[in-house]
Amino acid sequence: MKFSSTKLSISIMKANKSLLYLTTLVCFIIFISLVVIPSQTIALNNKPNKENILIIRRLSNNYYEPVLQSDSITIPLRRVGRLFLIESRIDDQIGNLIFDTGAMGLVLNKIYFRNHLVIDDHSSSGVNGTISSVSNTTIDNLNISELKYKNIRADLTDLGHIENKRGVKILGLLGFSMIKGFEILIDINHSQLKLFKIDKKGDRVNARDNKFRADLMQPIETANNILFLKAIIGGKKLNFCLDTGSETNVISSRSSNQVLNTINITRRSSLQGSGSQNSDVLYGNMNNFTFGNHPFTEMETIITNLDALSDAYGVKIDGVLGYNFLNKGVICINLGKKQLSICFAKSVKI
Amino acid sequence: MRPITNYIFILFCLLLPYYGAAQQFDPKKVCRLDNGNIVFKLDKRWNAKQKKEIGKLFDLDSTLLAKAYQGNSEFTLQKDKWSVKKIDQYTFELSKVINSAPVSHVKANDIFIMDDFLNNNYNITLKENTIYGVNSFKDVSLFQYRNHVARFFIPGQKQARSIYLSGSFNNWTTAQLPMQKNDSGWVVNIKIPPGKYLYKYIIDGRWTEDPNNNLYESDGRGGRNSVLYCINHIFQLPEYRHAHKVILSGSFNGFNQSELKMYRTTKGWAIPLYLKEGTYTYKFIIDGNWLADPTNKLTRNDGNGHLNSILGIGEAYTFQLKGYNDSKHVYLAGNFNGWNPKELEMEKTPTGWKLSYILAPGMYEYKFIVKEGHWIVDPDNPYSTGSGNFTNSLVAIKPNHTFVLKQYQNAGIVIVTGSFNNWNPNEYWMNRNKGKWEFPIYLPAGKHTYKFVVDKKWIIDPNNKLFESNDVGSFNSILWIEP
Repeated sequence: MKFSSTKLSISIMKANKSLLYLTTLVCFIIFISLVVIPSQTIALNNKPNKENILIIRRLSNNYYEPVLQSDSITIPLRRVGRLFLIESRIDDQIGNLIFDTGAMGLVLNKIYFRNHLVIDDHSSSGVNGTISSVSNTTIDNLNISELKYKNIRADLTDLGHIENKRGVKILGLLGFSMIKGFEILIDINHSQLKLFKIDKKGDRVNARDNKFRADLMQPIETANNILFLKAIIGGKKLNFCLDTGSETNVISSRSSNQVLNTINITRRSSLQGSGSQNSDVLYGNMNNFTFGNHPFTEMETIITNLDALSDAYGVKIDGVLGYNFLNKGVICINLGKKQLSICFAKSVKI
Repeated sequence: MRPITNYIFILFCLLLPYYGAAQQFDPKKVCRLDNGNIVFKLDKRWNAKQKKEIGKLFDLDSTLLAKAYQGNSEFTLQKDKWSVKKIDQYTFELSKVINSAPVSHVKANDIFIMDDFLNNNYNITLKENTIYGVNSFKDVSLFQYRNHVARFFIPGQKQARSIYLSGSFNNWTTAQLPMQKNDSGWVVNIKIPPGKYLYKYIIDGRWTEDPNNNLYESDGRGGRNSVLYCINHIFQLPEYRHAHKVILSGSFNGFNQSELKMYRTTKGWAIPLYLKEGTYTYKFIIDGNWLADPTNKLTRNDGNGHLNSILGIGEAYTFQLKGYNDSKHVYLAGNFNGWNPKELEMEKTPTGWKLSYILAPGMYEYKFIVKEGHWIVDPDNPYSTGSGNFTNSLVAIKPNHTFVLKQYQNAGIVIVTGSFNNWNPNEYWMNRNKGKWEFPIYLPAGKHTYKFVVDKKWIIDPNNKLFESNDVGSFNSILWIEP
């Protein structure tokens, strides 16, 4: 060490003085850029917030065939946060429904339907001990643009907390069963939902002007009017539900280590548990997610307990695919063909 | 002695650990999951700020981090059992078993909502603090605004089946404002007050920005919203037609000397502008020379002996104080002028004092200053806020709602509180008037939750059918203010 430092000193002494000052300056710049600037950037961009995850729907399971005069309809979606709203008229009220394929049917916000007759009111207990109150009502008319429903049974629940989070009036949730008779094109990058009438085979009644070109096609299943698809993480095949009402992807914290070890954790919140334990909610990126042999990147996810959701759906689920999956392109769902296809070109208007 | 080389050598030695720490400080590499454990790789070389940042990101509080850095191999904190494992001289791993117990507040029919900070660009609501603006249309004839009626026109689009207008003026409704088809295009009229608005057209279900408008703002998802200003004032300068360039410069744009270029008219120069309600000073810059508005007699000294023109937009509110005829001066001060005690001198009247002042809609606190610095509340205003020496008079300018409670006539104190004032239980005191309690208020558009506090007892509004459950097991009343 002594030898090398002496050699260094001699060689430096031979050099020009101004070169020495320059070296010093460069050292400081490296120091500032590596130590000071990164920490400031992080301080600005990351503000953990504990009040961030909410879960679960338990809904009526009916299917209603709406009346639509034309062969197809384009419904503009209003985006709020990463939620997508559909304007509707429900009996005498006009307002927004959240487009929510994670809900089974129609759910109405109790705040605005307190005067409606409650036809069933009971509490149900889930496998993990959670108790939820379920009450139903019926509405005479639900109109979404030219799409018209009559005599719909709907669940009633208090959705005030979603209004408060997003600052918009929410009349309810429009679940998957309400539109499952159509071929469904979800283009959240252009905030629009297209519905096409299909025949029994799943072919469009009017196939003219079909601009949708699938880059990927995969089978889908439904259970209790919820869409399920299989995707692979860390070599493990997992059961995901497709949920337009979820602002993020979710992975069950009960997933195997093989799955969880692949997730790059970027944040954590510790939530107060009801019992003797706290509950960890983890945020990260799924590095190793493939669907139909297609690798998906930038798949932000949270990791949390999904027991209550599995219980609500009556199916064991490993995860939820929400906004970060849906924004990869235009998603086409055709239950007649039991198929989900994706066109990855975000700029193409379908 | 080799002072320079010694200096550089010492500098290198000092920087090396920092360089090492900088290499180590990558928050994305701090946390991992390892067979049912959550593991945090921490570094002793991190500075206090970096440690704090990691604490925030991963919800590791300072007590926990202090224990970990002390080198305790195992400890229990707030029900969690933590282990610490040394890796090398600088780094160590802090770990615990992942707790995946069901979360207590999970309720049926909730949905997964992301953190707002991860959602950062989502908000497409209008910034209420926009003070001024000028339109920029490619063809000025396609948008008109007269007598508070805006006329939107889209030429062509003959193939379209329906076109709707949606914007911040109609709460972004997608189905309530259809445009009418005529021979040359689509048209709709909408009555809206002056202001800044964001909008889009919905052509056969597709969101489309206005191709005629050069002004736009990001809609937070890669697209854009068109921006327009419904103007409420035209600045005009007669003559000076020989000038090359005339700029409008005022307190509304920080006396910017190049931004607002006026255009030539048959009589001189003009620029139409939207200005938020309030009081402003301004001047024209004619080929580099500053000039107060020759058509405006109202001027104010700028403090350097120069006169600026004064313009008030909106209706003036008249503050009045009876009596105090023996005072030489009476001043008005409030949160609208930074409580400056010498700025707003009131005029003497036969019965007392008065001052007209233009304020934008909102809630304002004020006091009068009489008899050489004696601050008093307005004796004729029943509405006040605070208590004791900290009581101020309270006025709602252009209130858009009045809270009314018809019951509890025998109560001593009734207060209204809610999300609009951070649930402050001692701010908005209601006034008993003709058999009911009242409180006029100006609230921004959107949802507000509130309660009344009747002699310290919290109740929901018995006359409002809209209410929701809250976090403490009771209910809050709901009020929606339309834009």
